[in-house]
Amino acid sequence: MKSKTRTVVAGGKSVEILEAGKGPPVLYLHGVYDVHSLQGEMFAFHEALAESFTVIAPAHPGCGESTGIGEISNIEDLAFHYLDLLDALDIRSATIAGFCLGGWIATEMAVRNPERIGRMALIAPAGLQEPGASVGDFFMYSQNRDGGIMRELRELLFADADGPIANGIVPDGRVSVSNEVRRYKSLTITGRVGWEPPYLHDRKLRGRLRRITAPTMLVWGDTDRMIPIANGRAYSENIPQASLRIVKGGGHSVQIEKPDEVLAHVVPFLKSGKDS
Amino acid sequence: MSTTSEPNRAQLFSWHFMPWPYLDETFEKKYESGWITIPNSEFDPDKARGLYQEYLDELVHADEMGYDGVVLNEHHQNIYGLMPAPNLLAAALTPRMKNGKIVVLGNLVPLHFRPLRVAEEYAMLDCMSGGKMVCGFAPGGGHEAFSYSYSMPLARERFWEGIDLIVQAWTKPGPTEFYGKHYQMRYVNPWPQPLQRPHPPIWVPGSNSIETMYEVAKRGFCYFVSTRSKLAGVKRSTLRFEEIVGEVGQTFHPNKMGLLLSVYVGETDEIARRESEEAVFYFTRYCLKGHLRRAGRRLTMAPGGLTPKSYQSYLENSDVTSKLLGDAENWKDIDEMGSIIVGSPETVRQKLWEFVNDAHIGNLLIQFHIGNLSKEKTLKSQKLFAETVLPKLRADSQTLFEKKYPVKTAAAATATSKKPKSV
Repeated sequence: MKSKTRTVVAGGKSVEILEAGKGPPVLYLHGVYDVHSLQGEMFAFHEALAESFTVIAPAHPGCGESTGIGEISNIEDLAFHYLDLLDALDIRSATIAGFCLGGWIATEMAVRNPERIGRMALIAPAGLQEPGASVGDFFMYSQNRDGGIMRELRELLFADADGPIANGIVPDGRVSVSNEVRRYKSLTITGRVGWEPPYLHDRKLRGRLRRITAPTMLVWGDTDRMIPIANGRAYSENIPQASLRIVKGGGHSVQIEKPDEVLAHVVPFLKSGKDS
Repeated sequence: MSTTSEPNRAQLFSWHFMPWPYLDETFEKKYESGWITIPNSEFDPDKARGLYQEYLDELVHADEMGYDGVVLNEHHQNIYGLMPAPNLLAAALTPRMKNGKIVVLGNLVPLHFRPLRVAEEYAMLDCMSGGKMVCGFAPGGGHEAFSYSYSMPLARERFWEGIDLIVQAWTKPGPTEFYGKHYQMRYVNPWPQPLQRPHPPIWVPGSNSIETMYEVAKRGFCYFVSTRSKLAGVKRSTLRFEEIVGEVGQTFHPNKMGLLLSVYVGETDEIARRESEEAVFYFTRYCLKGHLRRAGRRLTMAPGGLTPKSYQSYLENSDVTSKLLGDAENWKDIDEMGSIIVGSPETVRQKLWEFVNDAHIGNLLIQFHIGNLSKEKTLKSQKLFAETVLPKLRADSQTLFEKKYPVKTAAAATATSKKPKSV
């Protein structure tokens, strides 16, 4: 499935969108280490999703060619930015898939304008911090140690930190300059909205989740060391129509590590919301 | 050409980092870094008794020896510098300093809930010291962002906005208002005001970011090179800064630039090395572990501290396998890296002169207390330097500056005005 790039203006900001597939639109909001942040192309997961949907994957402000990062200094700014994008794309009731930071943005949109979100599939979303379940220090581990070692970051992102997938995406040393800069840009927008409080959560979000009207599916790898699964349980208990699916042998980047298992949960769930 | 009461020559300062000096090989084996994560159960309060007093005595000694001033700085949660609150130490120094300036390089502006506090503390210190303050501001790097859990990408915006608030607090008759993107104040009207008008000299450290150089140059502040590079690297940044000063329409003078160096001077090269070697390696192996040493280094470049463009240029001009100061394996490495200068008075003078003459540095900020160097040796080196190196560097730099960077001094201006026109 070949993806193409286009640019949309939303709320005065230019948004680079990677798009692929046919069928009902799914807005895919990317994570810290994901499409747009690791590479400029889709992963196998997104391509498979595009067999059933039109996958619309915007780059966050400051990522890819998207502009307007100076206007974003907290998660609410990003939520409103993407509500602006729904207006620009003329989507009244959105079907959203989001990973990590992207999943958090989706919930912040849904608590503000529940009527605009029809259905959400959230893969290891950030946003909550249950006691004793803090988000891993990816800001610290995003930098190599001892002149090259990246193992701690691989451990946060993947169940199998020494396997070929982890080592292919986060090798020791540096990746190409352009991909290093891509990663840096993704960490920069994430640092603007998710460094304070440490990390990637909004203390008021849990109490607001009851406002969400969209049927919501949460998918979590059972060995997520970046965002502990206790946060997934808290999400599923506090969003009125939510279910939690756990993927065995999956780490934080479960959609990259175990795409088929995640698709088996997500595709039928998103398809069942034909009305949206 | 500006008017100043300063002599037109290089200024020499004594800088103290106030490290924890009681580590041994077990630190190296047990801990990845001397910063942020090293357990503070290793801190021994009994050994800390008297330590600050000893360190302050070493700075007061520099003043007695005729240095142009002393330098303090701010670091948190580490063994490299036990100075989370440098203004407290500056306050302790105020009644003890006779002539020298007190440079705080600098207060970490983004760590403050309201930067007005920094304006207030510096104004107090300027009053207490009789106008001897040089006020540094720093945004902090990764170590500080991790230490205080503040957003690295937001720190730079907050930093410049905070400085603008501070300068407003010192220069605009209050009460005024301040409405920025990050800080909003209904009443800006600090009592006291600094003694030096319009405000004390302001210094800002930088590590080669072009954006920082522009912001510093535009505001007429002094740029301080904190990278610990050798002469060639220092020259690249200083000459670039000099160009930028011209580009923004200001006049360059070497006193707009400072450089951090470490020095140990002994009677001969051999004596100097023998007396300082252990302390030098204590500094490089322990104090720099987790910072300017590859081992444990992951905090320095916290994501978002640079623009993507500056980060790209950093990537293109750096090599993760190259040696940093803390990676020095032997004396030859120390010598070649050029930031720790050990030797006889003549050896040291020659090397420092290159920084003044070739890199146009007008403020040499010298770390005399290195690592776990004893008080006795610190004072010996500091005294010998003051007697043998300092006078010649002052005289030579004066000859150079008066030729290349003429400045009308206040004294000269008065003298000139008194002379009859015919002379």
